[in-house]
Amino acid sequence: MKPPHIVIIGNGVSANRASEVLRENDPDVRITLISREFFLFYFRHKLPAFITGSIDEDSLIVHDLHFYMDRNIRLRLGQTVQKIDLENKTLFLSHMEMVHYDKLLICSGGQSHIPEIYYPFRSFFTTLKKLSDARDIRKKLPLINRIVIVGGDLTSLRLADALIRSGREVSFILDDFAFWPIESGPDIRHALETALKKVGATVISGDPLERIERISDGDPPEYAVYTRKGQQLRAQMVGAFFGFKPDVDFLIRSGLDIDRGILVDDRLQTTYPDVFAAGDCAQVYAPHLNNYWVSIGWKNAIMLGEIAAANMSGSEQPVSMPVEQRIRFSDLQLKTPWWHAL
Amino acid sequence: MPNQTDSLIIKICGSAGDGSISAVEILNRACALMGFHIMNFDSYPAEIRGFGKSVGHTRISRSPVLTPGRLADCLVSLNDVHAITELSRITPDAVILYDSKPPDYVEEDHAIAGFIQPGMTGYGIPLRDLSTQAVKSSRSRNIVALGALAAIYNMSLDAFMEAIAIRFSRKAAAVMKNNETALKLGHDFIVQHGERPARIDLQAQHWTRTDISIISGNEAAAQGALDAGLSFYAGYPITPATKIMEYLAKKLPGRNGVVVQTEDEISAIGHVVGAGYAGKRAMTATSGPGFCLMTETLNLAVEAEIGIVVIDCMRGGPSTGLPTKTEQSDLYLAVYGGSGDSPRIVLAPADVTECYTLTRRAFEVAEAFQTPVIILMDFFLSNRFEDLPGSIFESFRSGVFEKIQAIAGDDPYLRFAITDSGISPVAYPGMKGLQHTITGLEHSPNGFPNYDGDNHRRMDAKRQRKIDNIRFAWPSPEEIGSPDRADAGIISWGSSIGAAMEAIRHPDLSGAAIAGFFPRLLYPIQDGALKQFSDRCAELIVVELNSSGQMAGMVEQITSRKVIRLAEVPAEPPAVESIVRQIQGVLK
Ligand SMILES: Cc1cc2nc3c(=O)[nH]c(=O)nc-3n(C[C@H](O)[C@H](O)[C@H](O)COP(=O)(O)OP(=O)(O)OC[C@H]3O[C@@H](n4cnc5c(N)ncnc54)[C@H](O)[C@@H]3O)c2cc1C
Repeated sequence: MKPPHIVIIGNGVSANRASEVLRENDPDVRITLISREFFLFYFRHKLPAFITGSIDEDSLIVHDLHFYMDRNIRLRLGQTVQKIDLENKTLFLSHMEMVHYDKLLICSGGQSHIPEIYYPFRSFFTTLKKLSDARDIRKKLPLINRIVIVGGDLTSLRLADALIRSGREVSFILDDFAFWPIESGPDIRHALETALKKVGATVISGDPLERIERISDGDPPEYAVYTRKGQQLRAQMVGAFFGFKPDVDFLIRSGLDIDRGILVDDRLQTTYPDVFAAGDCAQVYAPHLNNYWVSIGWKNAIMLGEIAAANMSGSEQPVSMPVEQRIRFSDLQLKTPWWHAL
Repeated sequence: MPNQTDSLIIKICGSAGDGSISAVEILNRACALMGFHIMNFDSYPAEIRGFGKSVGHTRISRSPVLTPGRLADCLVSLNDVHAITELSRITPDAVILYDSKPPDYVEEDHAIAGFIQPGMTGYGIPLRDLSTQAVKSSRSRNIVALGALAAIYNMSLDAFMEAIAIRFSRKAAAVMKNNETALKLGHDFIVQHGERPARIDLQAQHWTRTDISIISGNEAAAQGALDAGLSFYAGYPITPATKIMEYLAKKLPGRNGVVVQTEDEISAIGHVVGAGYAGKRAMTATSGPGFCLMTETLNLAVEAEIGIVVIDCMRGGPSTGLPTKTEQSDLYLAVYGGSGDSPRIVLAPADVTECYTLTRRAFEVAEAFQTPVIILMDFFLSNRFEDLPGSIFESFRSGVFEKIQAIAGDDPYLRFAITDSGISPVAYPGMKGLQHTITGLEHSPNGFPNYDGDNHRRMDAKRQRKIDNIRFAWPSPEEIGSPDRADAGIISWGSSIGAAMEAIRHPDLSGAAIAGFFPRLLYPIQDGALKQFSDRCAELIVVELNSSGQMAGMVEQITSRKVIRLAEVPAEPPAVESIVRQIQGVLK
């Protein structure tokens, strides 16, 4: 009999941890990882350092190919799952290949979140989620002196710090929408403002973005950024940093229950048998709250990947709510159960 | 350029009818126009062309190409199921070009995009869509792919346009235009969507070369025969020799010659011996199984001292063997395959140019030495294409070997007169005063049957003597590498010479004292030169494609020493890497 085929969508930290556990639990099961990024599993939190050139691509890599060869795990990179037929247990890849599974784990992670009111300016925004984004920014950087960052999530703090250290002028337009997933009240915003100024950024607070215009098409292009109160900033790059949201658009019509993320029970199983979700893409049920939570963060993604794998191998492990951690940026201190200092 | 030494290897793989081979033809032509050297060797796993998978494999280089190389830098898939089977023959950083929009979803592992590994670069291009845009069907997917290749490797689009114009010159003008459009669409798609891998940039200037022929070994041999003044060809189709007959059937009648397709190989050589007897330049071409059938009549030509040319395009044997796979295992058959003591001259070209030059020369030799001359080609040499400058054809110096014609005198004409050289002046039927008898029986100098032992001894010796003499008139074997003492001496022949040469020059062996010895005259081998070579080499390695080591056996006989046999039957051209490894083992 052919061994069952477990397919994992994703090659991030939750997918990798899950594949490791699945293999430990069963030496024979067929395991395939599919990722639309054409790159080995890497540390996302190191991307800011890569952008400014303080580390190279090789030092981003977590697992090289041997990790997969040694564990007999098939790695499909640069391949996008376009849609899923849950009834027939089939994935449809954008290069027109079908992949059948017996069990499916979705670890599709998060994507940069842009508030709807800013959609008209989407094409002007630079975001940072993937290595390809980082490569793009790194390539453009030598010609860039002035950068405006709209939003102000935890990723942007680290990036701003790295950019300022490499001699760029960075201006922040702090925003009410910023700082997702952390609830940002006025005191946090104030503390953040102080911390950003301390590392050398110019900060505009309480005067949100109104519009962006591209005023020259050169290389790099030049943008004029206007605030509601009429301030005008010039920049060669406008970064949008409003946190991440689960990357589940490709599943909208699949039949899975989706809210912000993929709804799963506290065993990480979706509403479909044999289909599980873990990591940033999952919206996990907490029985004691009778509510769901989404975690965007590295360590929780590991924990969720591990539990999903155990449950796919026959365990019945419930997920417990992550506990709050303290993280620091300059003088700013925050408490969050999601994001960890890495 | 990347890959083995300084070249780029491109494979275009599809199913029969996908146009992979014609795409490679256009690619070859374009590259030759741009001033590159090419070697193209296509493969068809099926016994007959036109079914199943076909792979066009071309190596492009700024310097002359010695072997097709093994691992491709670029794989173009016109049929993913077939192309997937080629994945073991590409480099870890290869470029893979595939159709990103096939008409339907395919089953798991039937799409090549699913196999692209880190380090490789995948180019998904909507080949079908772009072809349909250009020619209203998917027929020109291959041309779209060529346009993409031109962009990926920064090759001159003009050269491809010219190559397309040549390829479709006999078709309606619209066909050419449509294909030009397909080419441009593929090119523009990459320019707009893809980043070129900077690693490989052919930086082709506008094309300059115009006098280049791109021909296969079979075509070169056939052309060599034509230019030698071939009058008569008879043959029976057999892979991989058939193309020679096809080529001659088109061209020989225009030169007042005759091509006869006979009922079998026995008849073919019978016709050829008859034409040779009549003083015509005559030839047949076959492969191992056909050559076996010919051996009896070939002996007649040896005994009756009739000059003919026989090409054996070797393939894997014995018997029907491996019709579409290359091998060099008919050496013993060519040299020793006859009843009695039946010496004949055996030549083996090393490349396509020599298929031309040696075939052309073979007719002079056959006529001058009045004996069959066998040319050993093989599947690889027969079917591989190379770029040849036009000057090859013009610069050939004829008349190196000339026949000694009999003159009628008062004494009766002795067709088989015993001479010091072993060569008896020749006459042909119908020449006044030179009437004579010939027979397959042993004969006196006048041609009449004679079974006397003394006579037989003298006649055997005469036939051997005349053939032995060619050793002194034939150019010395090519020697390369260390001119003095060598730790390893590499001997090879025929189409394996290229791989042996490339191995000797391989960077992994730089600094080592290695020499190469590459005869084209295999029988009688130039033993003086061989012994001298042997004396200066600590070890001898003989590289050839057969399992017993046939040339190795001949070398051992002459040098009275054991040699290392690098005799393999991989069913493909010899691998430079394995020769290099073997040499390294010897050097340790
Ligand atoms: C710049 C940056 C800095 C960060 N810093 C920190 C930090 O300091 N601390 C912290 O705790 N967290 C940090 N994070 C967040 C952390 O990296 C993520 O929470 C974590 O990577 C989530 O892992 P995951 O496995 O759920 O998904 P991801 O790592 O997002 O991986 C998702 C995978 O799914 C694949 N995928 C998605 N959709 C498809 C599809 N349709 N078809 C095929 N493949 C698909 C993707 O290619 C990818 O391989 C940072 C993130 C970024 C971008």
